[in-house]
Amino acid sequence: MLEVRDLHVAYGPATALWGLSFELRRGELLCIVGSNGAGKTTLINTLAGVLRARAGCIVFEGRDLTALPPHRFCAAGIAIVPEGRRLFASMSVRENLEIGSVLPDAKTRRTGSLEAVLALFPALEAKLAQPAGELSGGQQQMVAIGRALMARPRLLLLDEPSLGLSPLIVRELFAAIVRINGQGTSVLLVEQNVMMALRIAHRCYVLEEGRMVADGTPEELVERGAIRRSYLGV
Amino acid sequence: MAGFALPSATLLAQSILSGIFVGALYGLLGLGLSLSWGLLKQINLAHFAFAFLAAYLCYQLAALGVDPLLSLALLVPAFFVLGAALQAALARFSITPFNSLLLTFGLTGIVEAVIQSVWTADFRKLESAYSEHRFKIAGLFVPLPELITLLLAVGLSFGVWAVLRHTDFGKALRASAEDAPIARAFGINQRRDALLLAGTCSALAAVAGVCLALNFTLAPSQIYAWIGVVFAAVMLGGLGRALAPLVAGVLIGVSEAVTMAVTAPSWAPLVSFTLLIAILLLRPGRAT
Amino acid sequence: MNVARPLRSGFELGHLPRTPIAIVGVAVALAFLPALGLPAFYDSLLYLILLWIVLATSWNILSGYSGYFSFGHGAFFGTGIYTSATLMARFDWPFLWTLPVAAVSACVLGVAVGAVVFRVKGVRGEVFALLTLAMTFVLGTLVVNTPLDGGNGVSLASVPIPKIGPTPPATFYLLALAAATLTLLLAWGIAVSKLGAGLFAIHDDEDAAEVIGVPTFRYKLAALAISCALAGLAGGIHALFLNYVTVGDVFTITVPLTVLLMSVLGGMRHSAGPAIGAVVITLLLYSFTAADLAVAGKAMTGVILIAAILFMPDGILPRLQRAFARRNVATTVPIAVAQQAPRPPINSSAGERGDVLLRARGVAKSFRGVRALAGVDIEVRRGEIVGLLGPNGSGKSTFINVVSGHVEASAGSIVFEGRELTRRPAHGIARAGVARTYQIPRPFAHFNVLDNVALATMFGGGAATPAAARRDAMTWLAFTGLQDKAHAQPDELNLHQRKFLELARALAARPRLVMLDEVLCGLTPDEMDDAVALVRRIRDQGATVIFVEHVLRAVMALTDRVVVLDYGVLLAEGPAAEVMQRPEVINAYVGQPDLPAHPADADFAEQRRA
Repeated sequence: MLEVRDLHVAYGPATALWGLSFELRRGELLCIVGSNGAGKTTLINTLAGVLRARAGCIVFEGRDLTALPPHRFCAAGIAIVPEGRRLFASMSVRENLEIGSVLPDAKTRRTGSLEAVLALFPALEAKLAQPAGELSGGQQQMVAIGRALMARPRLLLLDEPSLGLSPLIVRELFAAIVRINGQGTSVLLVEQNVMMALRIAHRCYVLEEGRMVADGTPEELVERGAIRRSYLGV
Repeated sequence: MAGFALPSATLLAQSILSGIFVGALYGLLGLGLSLSWGLLKQINLAHFAFAFLAAYLCYQLAALGVDPLLSLALLVPAFFVLGAALQAALARFSITPFNSLLLTFGLTGIVEAVIQSVWTADFRKLESAYSEHRFKIAGLFVPLPELITLLLAVGLSFGVWAVLRHTDFGKALRASAEDAPIARAFGINQRRDALLLAGTCSALAAVAGVCLALNFTLAPSQIYAWIGVVFAAVMLGGLGRALAPLVAGVLIGVSEAVTMAVTAPSWAPLVSFTLLIAILLLRPGRAT
Repeated sequence: MNVARPLRSGFELGHLPRTPIAIVGVAVALAFLPALGLPAFYDSLLYLILLWIVLATSWNILSGYSGYFSFGHGAFFGTGIYTSATLMARFDWPFLWTLPVAAVSACVLGVAVGAVVFRVKGVRGEVFALLTLAMTFVLGTLVVNTPLDGGNGVSLASVPIPKIGPTPPATFYLLALAAATLTLLLAWGIAVSKLGAGLFAIHDDEDAAEVIGVPTFRYKLAALAISCALAGLAGGIHALFLNYVTVGDVFTITVPLTVLLMSVLGGMRHSAGPAIGAVVITLLLYSFTAADLAVAGKAMTGVILIAAILFMPDGILPRLQRAFARRNVATTVPIAVAQQAPRPPINSSAGERGDVLLRARGVAKSFRGVRALAGVDIEVRRGEIVGLLGPNGSGKSTFINVVSGHVEASAGSIVFEGRELTRRPAHGIARAGVARTYQIPRPFAHFNVLDNVALATMFGGGAATPAAARRDAMTWLAFTGLQDKAHAQPDELNLHQRKFLELARALAARPRLVMLDEVLCGLTPDEMDDAVALVRRIRDQGATVIFVEHVLRAVMALTDRVVVLDYGVLLAEGPAAEVMQRPEVINAYVGQPDLPAHPADADFAEQRRA
């Protein structure tokens, strides 16, 4: 469904991704793990169109997205849950969710999408009129995921959803992610919290300093000790 | 020389009323400025020049027999296009908010020169059927042109508020102003939105211009007289808001009017500018 | 491309500087102009040009150099005008004696405004512009309503004009010439001095300037004071020239916008830029007025301003400078690289290796309800290399920001070499011997590599003159291996070099404690080895190092000790290899391996098998 070939992304003189290649199959829950500074956020932002690649290509459902202007990625079927949530803090929860569905297709199905999001995260129902910035971290993450779902994406990108959240909330969120994937949305999850990620992923890649250094199913990776080496250096 | 004299209740009430009227115009002028500053990150000094250009055009059309309110039908779309075209031209350059201030100052000079070359520096007063009508409500005089201005200001402010709050376009504008890259990631087309917004702000300037023509004597040098007090209203209310410039404008207008009634007209500017200074010192974050 | 703003010091070569001599020479020559007996109109035109030179150049001293655009210049000019006019009309003072008073009164006003305004954090850019504009109208209103003006203006018809030149216009011309000469000399003098270097640094990055030790408040105030004094002087002269003074002439937006236009056009980072702009604009406006095209002239200035902002944001002068750049290279003084003798060790204070250098107790910091640091106790001993580790959001950068003074701690105390650092401003902490680098390098964009470091040696390292500052800077560049890039611009460097530049700048102040924030991020393996070796050299010089890092092999190789933070709390400390094996640390980084059973677990397992 998604094929990334030889992706080079740089910030000015600093190259963050060095010729990355990987693929994601339809319906998969793919996880990319790596320690800080490995380039995970750069990768997600490039796939969502927020960053432009310097070289390489991104092919999604047979379409080459690489040269597309940023605002067209969403229409192509990709939605992002950014690192740190990046909600529109002064706008209400409902408005944040609505922004997710400004595109024509998503707009016609807005009411249905909203119901689905509230079914997934019942706690948000009471908060719909509140400014998003006033919610707790876990609730904000729910809104961020909901916002992306309102766009009815075929591929959902999640950038470190567990960041700054307590383990209990993280578990709830991950359960929701599994449910979303179960309903047919392909998921690309980038995480520092490896243990949780390994539990739910179908397949994993390990990213280190802008390069893929290992891939396989979670069991394979744990067996090979690839994770431990990458994170802890031992 | 300034002296303090307590005016009669009627005089005070009449002053307050005229303060509300002029404040409404401050608010109407401030509306377009606040929107482009808060949502487009442009400090558009030329807003005032455009308003005056519209005022002069209204005056000219009236001389040809066109009713001022009817001329809105012509001026509003024309200025909408003008604003959008300007935005399209400038979008190619990445201009910081501060540079936009300088740039639009240059533009103001050009527009002022154009006005002066066509209509000279002489004072021009629009004589319309409206200026002859006055209502008497509760013992106070309500001139028709002023009333029209108040109604337009209130109506447009609420209209803009409704758009910002309840339409997708308004929400998209607010989202883009808060976090542009993420807004884009959800499909918001900022280039197109900016054109529409810039056009709208220009159209608002045109309406303000017609109100100027109805209520005041026009002269090219007068463009600058409004800058200070309208900036004060915009900053007092906060950027990118729809109702705030109106409320702040009326507040300033009323305080000025009361000051004038109690002391002398020449003390009036002190009010708005001292308020502005206080706001800027106490909450500098308002400007971003 | 921006041209570097060199720390020029004419005193380097041991003989008199060229520019001031040229200025004075030209002025003396021009002083003989009235003797030529030209029609009075020329004297008046030249007077106006010179007046605008004074106004624009004086404005530039604050606004162009430091980036704080003031829209209040009209008010200071007006203060000078009214001081002088009042003294002459009301108190019968002789004209010339009113001039210094006019200058002083404008200066006092400026300092009063600056003392309040510059203290408020967050007053930058547009806010300062609007504040000064508002101040102008407030002052104008006050003047109009009080006996100073009273709405009628002040008439100076009966004031005698001193006989300095053959005719009155000539007299004003000569006075303006003297004022312009003084202004240009001052502008040049500031530009090549420490004050100027500080102002330009503030322009590029005020926070970074603070951190390297520039006393930003004092410098901005000084620039404002000088700028206002000169404007006041010009006002004093202009009062009598006008003969009849009204508020509407000066307490408006016109004067500041005009000087802004002149400076933008001519070039704001150069002392002579505004003067060039003043000459061009005044002549332009004049020629339009003379040809009865005043209106077109106004339009023309608008067009020029727009063109300048869009296409020549740096102004005319830098363009010309670049055209002559090739000639200048030859005259650049070759910097004598200091003897290859080993640098004097940084650790000049008496203290043994192993003493406690930094003691942080209960340090807490909250941002709007989010607790970034929740009471941290850390001790760092002299000569150590301590690694500060922890997952994302654990508070590492916050800790560095608090110690360096970038942000103020919400609670706790930080004692460095026995001195309390907690309430000090950033530049005070920098002076005390603590330096830090930024994760994303923040070099001063308009200074070349050498001068970036020289700024640090000047403000933090105690170099007395710009020349000495440059010599010291060169040795630091050599220490970090950047000596070949000394004259390059920061944006020509790659990331690795920029990080080393940051490092050189941090070291130039000879800090005893160096805090590195993710120095290795984004580097290739070879570059990383260079960096690791450099950090070792820094410690060998006598500095103590705290560094935040994620690249674990570097952490293993370099550190004596690591401190691990998690959720703003100290999680573990000790030797790296041992700490990284501890379960709570592994947990923090990688997530909990053993969670109690949860209903959702069954879901996960099912989904996975599907």
